[in-house]
Parts: sequence; structure tokens; C-alpha cells
Amino acid sequence: MAERYDAVIIGGGHNGLVTAAYLARAGMKVVCLERRHVLGGAAVTEEIVPGFRFSVASYVVSLLRPEIIRELDLGRHGLEILPLDGTLTPLENDHLWRVNDHSRTIRELRRWSLSDAEAYEEYGRLMVHMARFIKPILSVVPPDQGRLHPLEWLSLGPLARRFSDLPRRLRDTFIQVMTMSAADFLDQWFETDPLKATMSASGIIGTFQGVRSPGTAYVLLHHYMGEIDGAYRAWGIPRGGTGGVSLAIASAARSLGAEIRTEAPVARIDVRGGRAVGVTLESGDEILADNVLSSADSRVTFERLVEPGVLDDEFMADVRRFKFRGSSGKVNLALSGLPDFTCLPGRGDHLRGAISFSPSIEYMERAYDDAKYGRPSRRPYIDMIIPTLVDPAMAPPGHHTMSCFVQYAPYHLADGAQWDDAARDAFGETVLDTIEERAPNIRSLIVGKQVLTPLDIERRIGLSEGNIFQGELSLEQLFFNRPVPGWARFRTPVRGLWVCGSAAHPGGGLMGAPGRIAAHELLKERGKARWRR
Amino acid sequence: MSRHDVIIVGGGHNGLVAAGLLAKGGRRVVVLERRDRVGGLAELFPTAGRLRESVIEALRLREHGLELIRPSVRMIALRDGAAPLVFHADAERTAAGLGADGNSYVDYDAHVRSLSGFLRRINGMTPPRLDRPAAGDVLGGLRLGKAFRDLGPRRARELTRALPMAAADFVRDWFTDDAVCGALAARGTLLTEMGPWSAGSALVLLNDMAEGDGGAPGETVLVRGGAPALAQALRAAAEAAGAEVRTGSEVASITTADGAVDGVELASGERIEAGAVASSLDPRTTLLRLLDPMVAGPRLRWRAGNIRARGHAAVVGLQLSALPEFRGVDDPSLLEGRIVAARGIDELERAFDASKYGGSSERPQIEAVIPTVSDPAASSGHRMLAIVQWVSPAAGPDDVAGMLMAELERHAPGIGGLVTDRWAHTPATLEEEYGVAGGHLLHAEPALDQFFAWRPVLGMARYRLPVRGLYLCGPGAHPGGGITGGPGENAAHEIERDLA
Repeated sequence: MAERYDAVIIGGGHNGLVTAAYLARAGMKVVCLERRHVLGGAAVTEEIVPGFRFSVASYVVSLLRPEIIRELDLGRHGLEILPLDGTLTPLENDHLWRVNDHSRTIRELRRWSLSDAEAYEEYGRLMVHMARFIKPILSVVPPDQGRLHPLEWLSLGPLARRFSDLPRRLRDTFIQVMTMSAADFLDQWFETDPLKATMSASGIIGTFQGVRSPGTAYVLLHHYMGEIDGAYRAWGIPRGGTGGVSLAIASAARSLGAEIRTEAPVARIDVRGGRAVGVTLESGDEILADNVLSSADSRVTFERLVEPGVLDDEFMADVRRFKFRGSSGKVNLALSGLPDFTCLPGRGDHLRGAISFSPSIEYMERAYDDAKYGRPSRRPYIDMIIPTLVDPAMAPPGHHTMSCFVQYAPYHLADGAQWDDAARDAFGETVLDTIEERAPNIRSLIVGKQVLTPLDIERRIGLSEGNIFQGELSLEQLFFNRPVPGWARFRTPVRGLWVCGSAAHPGGGLMGAPGRIAAHELLKERGKARWRR
Repeated sequence: MSRHDVIIVGGGHNGLVAAGLLAKGGRRVVVLERRDRVGGLAELFPTAGRLRESVIEALRLREHGLELIRPSVRMIALRDGAAPLVFHADAERTAAGLGADGNSYVDYDAHVRSLSGFLRRINGMTPPRLDRPAAGDVLGGLRLGKAFRDLGPRRARELTRALPMAAADFVRDWFTDDAVCGALAARGTLLTEMGPWSAGSALVLLNDMAEGDGGAPGETVLVRGGAPALAQALRAAAEAAGAEVRTGSEVASITTADGAVDGVELASGERIEAGAVASSLDPRTTLLRLLDPMVAGPRLRWRAGNIRARGHAAVVGLQLSALPEFRGVDDPSLLEGRIVAARGIDELERAFDASKYGGSSERPQIEAVIPTVSDPAASSGHRMLAIVQWVSPAAGPDDVAGMLMAELERHAPGIGGLVTDRWAHTPATLEEEYGVAGGHLLHAEPALDQFFAWRPVLGMARYRLPVRGLYLCGPGAHPGGGITGGPGENAAHEIERDLA
């Protein structure tokens, strides 16, 4: 006997859970189905090594929409973001250390370049301005540029007006930010190589681009749009790891009446007469629903879960053309102590923020060059944090966890190579070799280790080609072209079938935005006016 | 001191086009060219025939001797160890020779014609103001909107998708053979600081197809008599329209009074008065060298300094005692168009990589033309002109000529023995000889961040520079390079509006 719901959500990642919460809040009977035994998708905490809990994939939070935190009262449901202070760039004989304390950072930059110290302040103000300007785009439903119906473009009207109201300087910067490479953009402001390299690194995270690739300055801004307690550009780690975010959202969803099931993998989205009528689980159980919302990526949703023949050839061709090209890997380490950096020896506050292996623009670009031709970077970019310094409960006393986000590790390898065990081991060793060059004691501290290649990310978390954003955030795959040109409004050609994950606008980054907008769109369609933006 | 309405700085093809059009409209125009002859950079390119039909007609260039040759073979792409790929003007004929990829070629050709047709519309217009759109802008916008809608929903979406793409992704949506992809994507990187994997190279590619008949292989039009014939025809037309053209007249500075332009001062000390000065030089040279720093001010100078214009292309000329024999080319008429090396996408990207680290490509990308194949009167004996990229800023003329010869030897063994004379221009010598900052043949990088309403910089994209009476009319302005006369024509239109 099939169960019946108003909406069934595929995927218990943070977006799926957000959607479930908002729909339940509006009084709908919803169930959220997660394939794995643990909720969170890529925002998940797991005890990989006994006694040590890791943010297995996603490891920092900044972009989680404040309206979601507020509207779902996530604080009451256990969400606590601990501030991550600073970014250290270790170098061979020196270091560059920027912290939240602005004047300290300026003093540090003066050590390197007086003009850079001056420019840094101006640059920071500019980026905050840009972030404020762009922010409304995060909540817009993109129009269909193919139809050019005036009503659809109305949503862009206010944005266009805001644009022409901007001071000329900011208009200039906006266009540059949308089109330049991170390196070229920063070259206009700064001369200190490790500074530019570290700043530009955020422009390439999760992309298959280099810091010199046009279009990466935009992602610089994407990462600047974070807001924590009203302060832009503050990054933090959730207490309990990024899984803490997902669990808080799940708790909120449940308290609002949503049903959430784990170990409930969906095999098929059931379509009858061009309408989605529910899903069938791998167990064979059927769940009927008026609406099906998928938080999986477009390849999983349309190529795997919807049967062939349901969607027309043109749509499927567009789905197939959507680029994934995962480029990152993750190395999670359980440590018996702290790494000792030769450039700044000992235990100190410099370990409490992010540690960025990005000594120069050339280093970053060569790391990308390797990946372009199908090889993991010989000397990769690593973004490292030691969460236990702010959240000691994640490991036994005196012990630590270390999270290393690594680029590049291209999903597609050259010469027919595969991401097998040997390739994974080699990748892990390369990462440790790189760390060892700056912190020679690293290997001696390792108690346990987890290495995730893009293939592992694909298999474990369900992200096609290991792309962490459910599809590249390249310019041609944004806004009205995401996830399929002409289908950027969370709806699909199948009535009642929606997308609500990072595959949709505004893309990935642990924002929760797609999940929220999708819910809103569905509710709008159902005429449930309880919604207040 | 003489009195003119408009002074055109630089007698390159755009400067001459602007001069001719303004003179035709009754303005008193003088063109000031530093060198001993006009024509500028166009003299380096035999395929200088892509002039807009509107320019050819308005200036009656045909009456002044301009004759265009449109070879039926647009491009031949030489492959290592395989027969070359031939791209004809006729898409069906090309498709027949492409194997499996031939199936999608005709559709691809139609597709890119449609998309680039839209770009042609954009190229014909003055970019809109982005701050306070005026009525004229709205009208232009509506026309553009209609043209956009006329593409049909699918193509309209495709356009917004295609413009920011990498050329490699763009062609790989259609073709599987790497050599085909490389040959077709290559023009998206020519004369730029972009590789086939660079976002925005699809825009360059589509723009390349926008003027003339275009299509998948791009347009190839030669000027009978070579590029000097183009310069002559343009000069004759400008003078016939009433413009004065002076060579050997180097402009040392643009003079101003009360914040507005009032003329120029030559290197000789001679001053020429005019209320409008249109520079066909590159924007950096115009704003940083010719304009008084006190008048320009620090902010303008900072913005001008940030205009990206780093040249990485060399031009090499060879005098040949006979027509070279290329492997797999039994019919010499196949050489009547552009000759390129059909490297795969990654090979092309590798060649580009070198430019990021200040080096020269190990195996350069080349695009060569032997004008005498389709225009025997072009010169005595055979000549070849080739673009070679990407070259290091430190490379000398011999180095780049050597790079070309090494690549050509692979495809035409023994060609070295046919060379009776050679010359080469590196970015450094291009800068010295032609006065173009950075030696960038397109005056400013044609990337997404320097495109249309923000080329070369936001606020200077409507041909008017921030000093009253000062204009930009060269390829540093929209629609960019390619020897189309586009910037000159568009700028002339705007200058005329302001003078009226």
C-alpha cells in the first residue's frame, strides 16, 4: 500500500532538508528521503577514525543564508558557528598571516608592501559593497532568456536599476568581477605574490579553472558573500562539524512536521501522463506525492532517476552538456598533536584559522595546468584547517583533526588512468609531501587518515564527477543557464517535478538558497500565501 | 597653425576610415601618421579584406582600386601524420571531408552563422550607456532585443550560454575529432592571451565569424595587390572625400585648454588646432603617453594602466623561391586561404600555457597565408606571412622566425631551402615600429572584461574619452580588431553626432 504525501524530497543534503523544513512549515505533508545512513550530503560529520569526528567533505560555513538561520530558528536546533580566525600562507622562509583584526592584518601587509597595505583596506570595502549589491541575486528566480516575456524580466528590473544607480567605480568593478580572472583582477590592486595567490585561491575552489582563467574573479565574490551575525566575509566552522548544520536543519524540519528517512535510496521518479506522481525506492516501496523535489544534481535526477523517453531529446542533450568536471579531493587526518610550521614554529593562533598552501600565482597556475591535462597537481593547492582548536570535542583530548581541501584532482585522468587505490594512495602521499615541506612533523602525527578522490566523492556522496557544486559555476552555467538553459526556475519539463539542490540557482557553497527558493516557488504555485520573504 | 574640425591621430585603416567618413560629411579632417606610409598594422596581414560592406560602399573603395579576392578554400589545417583538413566556403563540401564529424558540420555552420549574425548587429552599434540609458540607447536596445528574440528561444539561450564559454567546450559540443576541434577553435585564441580552455575564447571565435560571410571556418578575404593596396585605396578615398593625409607627422601630445581638447603638437613642434581629436592608436598610448598627466589625472591614468594589452604574437614574412610542398597537399589551390596547424585542443592549450610564464610555446600555433596563390600579382615570387604565437617578451626576431621554420619543416620538409629572405616582428618590435603599446595587434585584449559596453574600460566605451573632444577610433574600442573598419566607422558616426 503506497503512502501518500504532498511532497517527497529526494536527498537529505542540506538543501533537501531546507526544502523539507519550509514546505512542512507551510503545512504540507512532506517526506525527505536520504540514501545514506547519515544525513547531510556533502555537509556531513562522520567518525572515520574511532574517536575522531570529521567534516568529511564540506568543512567551513559562511554562505549559509541568514534568513534560513533566522526563519528556521536553527540556533535553537543546535546550530552554532565558531569563528575561524585568519588565513596563514606558509612559505619557505617567511609567512603571510591575515586575521580578522583588521589593523593587525594591515601591519602584517606593511611588512610586505606599503601600497598593498593601503590597497587592502580599499579593496575590502569595495568587495563588501559588491557583495551587498549582488546579494539580492541570490534570491531571484532567473528569467528564461529564450522567451523574453516582459513579466519574466521584471524580476531583473530592480537589479538593473540598482546597477545603474551604483557609483561608476562600482559598476566598473562589478563588470570586472564578472569577467576577469581572479589573478588579473587582483593584479590591479596588489603586488605581493603570496597575497594575490591566497586571495585568488577562493576564485578557483570547486572549479575546473585556474587563477588566471577568465571568469574566476566572480567566484572570489561568491565566497565573499558570506554573512555570519551580520558581518560579511566571516568564515566559521559549525560546532560538531558541517554535519551540525544539516542536523540542525533536520531537527528544525522534524519539529515543523517533516518526516525524514535515512537508508531510503530512491530508484526511480515515477511519471505518469507527463506528471510526476511520486518515487519508488530501491526496496520497491512506492511513495505517492503531488510534488517531487530532487536535491540531487541534474545528471542523477534526469539521467538516472527519470526513465528514458520521458524527457525530450533536446532537454536531455542540454543535461548531458552541463559540465561537472570535479577537480578537488579531500584528505582528512587524525593527529596526535599539532603540525609545527618551520616558518612560524610552535603552537599559536596562526593555527586557528585557515592555512593556505598558495605561495605564488605561478604555483597556483601550474597546479591547474597539471589538471588540465588529466593529472593531479604535482604540487597542489591545499586549504587546511584544524577544527579541534576551536571545537575540541571532535577528537580525544590532546588529539586533533585536520581537514585538507585539495586542488587539483581532476575526475578525468589522462591516458586511461583511473582513480583506483594506487591513484588514491599516490594522491594522499602528494598531499602529505606538500604539507611536509612546510611542517616536517606532519607524518609523525598521523593516527588515522581518509583520502577522498573525486571518484570517492561521487560514489560516497552522489556528486557527479565529484564536482562539489553539483555542476561547474562557470559563467555559462550560471543564472538562467543553471541547470539547463531555459529551465532555471526550479521547474522541469515534467509537471510536479522540481529541482531544489545546488544544481539550481544560485549554485553551490552550502548556502541553502536553492532549497529555500525552490520551496517558495512550489508554495507560490500552490497559492499558499503563508510565505513571507 | 591650421584649423580643422577633426584631427585623426594615426593613419592605420581605422583612422583612414574615420577620416574618409567624416570628410564625406563635410568636416575638415587631417590624418597624422608618424611613419612614412599609411596603413598601420594592416600591412602585415594579406587577409585584410574583411572590411565592412558599409565602409566599402560609403567610401567607394572599389572605385579607388580596392579589389577583394574570396578564395573558395577558407582554411587548410595541416595535421601531423595525416591528411590535412580542408575547410571550404561551402559547408557541404567541407562536411564531406570530415569523416564522422561531417554529420554535425553543416548544422554547426548554420548555428554559428546565426549566433555570430547577432554579434554583427552588436558590432554595428555604439554600445549603450550603462549609467543613464538615453532614449537612443533604449531604441538600440529594443532593436537588439528584437534581434535577440528573432534568434528563437533555443538560439537565444545558446547565445547567452556560448558567449562566456571556452572555445574548446563550444566546439566539443559538436565534434569529436580532436584535430577538427583544434582547427575550428584556434581562431578563438589568435592574437589573444587566451587558450582554447579560456572562458571568453568562444566570444572571440564567434566574433571572428561575425563580419562578412564567416561561418564555421571564418572569413578569409584577400586584397588584390596585398595590404599596401588596401592602404592606398583608403588613402585615396579619404583624400577624395576632402581629408588631408600627412605622413612623417608624429603626434607628440594632445593639447588641451580649459579641460577640453584643442589640438595636437607634433614632434617637430608644429601645432595643429582642432576641437576634436580622434586617436586610432591604442588606448594606453593615447591616455598615458599623448595626454598630459595633469589633464588625465591619477584615476584615469590608473584605469588606463590597467587596460590589458600584452601582445604574445609575432609576425614573420618569408620570401620563397617556389611554392612550398606541404605533406598531403597535392593541389596547390588548397593553399589559397589560411594555412594553420591542426593541433588538438590540448596541444593548442599547451602552446598557450607558455605565455603565462613568460616563455615561448615549444610548438607554436601558426596561421600563414601565401597571397600569391590566389593573387599572383601580389608580389614577385612567392611570399608567406605568418602569425606565430605564443612568443616570449624576450624573444628576438630570429627566435620567432626560427620557431616558424621549425613548425613549417614538419609539414613542408625542405621549406627552409626555399627561403630567400625573411623578416620578423616580435611584440617588442611591433611596439617600436607601429607604436602599439605592448605590441598587442588588437590594441587591447578582446576578452570578456574588455568587451562591448566596457571596451576598453567602462565609461570609455562609446568612443568618447573622459576629456571633452577626445575620441578613440581604433580597435581598442568596440567592436575591436580584425581589419573591418568597424571602430573607425562607429567612431566617425559618434564624432559627427557630437559636432552637429
